[in-house]
Amino acid sequence: MITAQAIFIGFFGVAAVWFGVVVFRTFSMVRSAIALLFSQTALGAMFLTMQAEFLGVLQIMMMATEMSIMAFFMVMFMMDPGGMGKMEMTHQKRLSWIVGLASFVGAVAIAVFIDWGPVATTVAETAEQTEALGLELLGRSMLIFEMAGVTILTAMIAATSVAIPPMPSPEKTHKDKV
Amino acid sequence: MTTLLVVLLLAIGVYCVAVLEAWIASGRFRLMAPACSAIALLGRESIVPRKPDLLFFEMGPIVLLVAALLAAAVIPLSPDLIITDLATGALFLNAALAYVLVALIMAGWGPNGAYAMIGGWRFLGQLIAYAMLVVMPITAVAMRAESLATTDIVISQSGLWNIFYQPLGFVLFFIAAMGLAFLPPFDLPTAKGELAGGVEAEYSGVRLAVFRLGRMVLVVTLAAATVTFYLGGWQGPSLPPWLWSAIKILLVTAAMLLIGRYVPRIREAHLLAWCWKFGIPLALLNIFIVGILLVVIP
Repeated sequence: MITAQAIFIGFFGVAAVWFGVVVFRTFSMVRSAIALLFSQTALGAMFLTMQAEFLGVLQIMMMATEMSIMAFFMVMFMMDPGGMGKMEMTHQKRLSWIVGLASFVGAVAIAVFIDWGPVATTVAETAEQTEALGLELLGRSMLIFEMAGVTILTAMIAATSVAIPPMPSPEKTHKDKV
Repeated sequence: MTTLLVVLLLAIGVYCVAVLEAWIASGRFRLMAPACSAIALLGRESIVPRKPDLLFFEMGPIVLLVAALLAAAVIPLSPDLIITDLATGALFLNAALAYVLVALIMAGWGPNGAYAMIGGWRFLGQLIAYAMLVVMPITAVAMRAESLATTDIVISQSGLWNIFYQPLGFVLFFIAAMGLAFLPPFDLPTAKGELAGGVEAEYSGVRLAVFRLGRMVLVVTLAAATVTFYLGGWQGPSLPPWLWSAIKILLVTAAMLLIGRYVPRIREAHLLAWCWKFGIPLALLNIFIVGILLVVIP
């Protein structure tokens, strides 16, 4: 039986995929980042529809900031950030196709073949969900999340250091003056 | 019915704040000033700049208004006067307010103008400064209430308001709230006299009216959040709860506007440096102190 919940999950799922497609269909870097933001927001809305309130709200909150910062980095690094010149900015297309398709097939295979265990018939209270999530993050998933966090931080520091122009060495500056 | 009542009270609050702002700015008390300004704005042509990103240009002010309204939905004006009492209310407030940044980036990028764009990106830098100072004091507030629901947070202050229990958190949140609402001295994205209005520069007519309305709702919402988290929400003697909320919200708003009147605009680099070198360590210290207080005085 199709319930209102299923319809909304489907709607937000389609919205997430659609915005995901828009990310690659636009030439503007800011549009691309904002489209990705709304794709992730739609995923947050899916969580909310599935009554995972804390996860949904957290997803919607985090993505707004993260994607805006990503937009800034994309504007900094791309030659035509506004997409006004219709500059071709894609590369390694064949490799991208292969990796993309392989990832898609892999994700679908995991979703179909994995043993998800018994389906929950009742939804826990939001406070209980939040507590369970906290215990999970500080328990067996701690290593994964900490590693992901440190990796992202490293990437941010690396990207910033790449963006800063090299300082002229003191000797060179001195010679220039002479 | 509750929703309509809250929206009506919010509209009255926004008008009062607009009167207050005009009074503080011009030194003259004129009750009709905001109405006259609104009529004047609506009567003017709403100019679209050349080669804009039309979608962002149109959506920027609307996203700002919607984000501020959504944040207001979890603020309790009295035990029953709340649009939705979410179990994750305090987090939802943050989630909604995160879209203020998205709105300003869209409004800054959309018109294809230098001043607007600089204003939009400036706000992103401002967010890097204030964001932690919004979230971390709220964490300490939620620790005391043992809940993220805003009504529970108000009830947790029945013995002692959080402004006295965690004064450091209040000061940090108050500063961050002013930064989030880009009120002076944190009005870097609009920066009149320096960026010619910044994000607002290319907007006119009805679009500018919507943008300013969104900003006013944002100011009221943030003042209401301050009242909910630190000033005991609707609690107070004799008067009805909603009236206590209204009085406190107006006083907090007046304080925000008055401080901005007498403090010079801060520079972006100074704001970032202060927030990261002092603000965030102080916010961590606040969480630590509240943690100890909760153990010592359960």
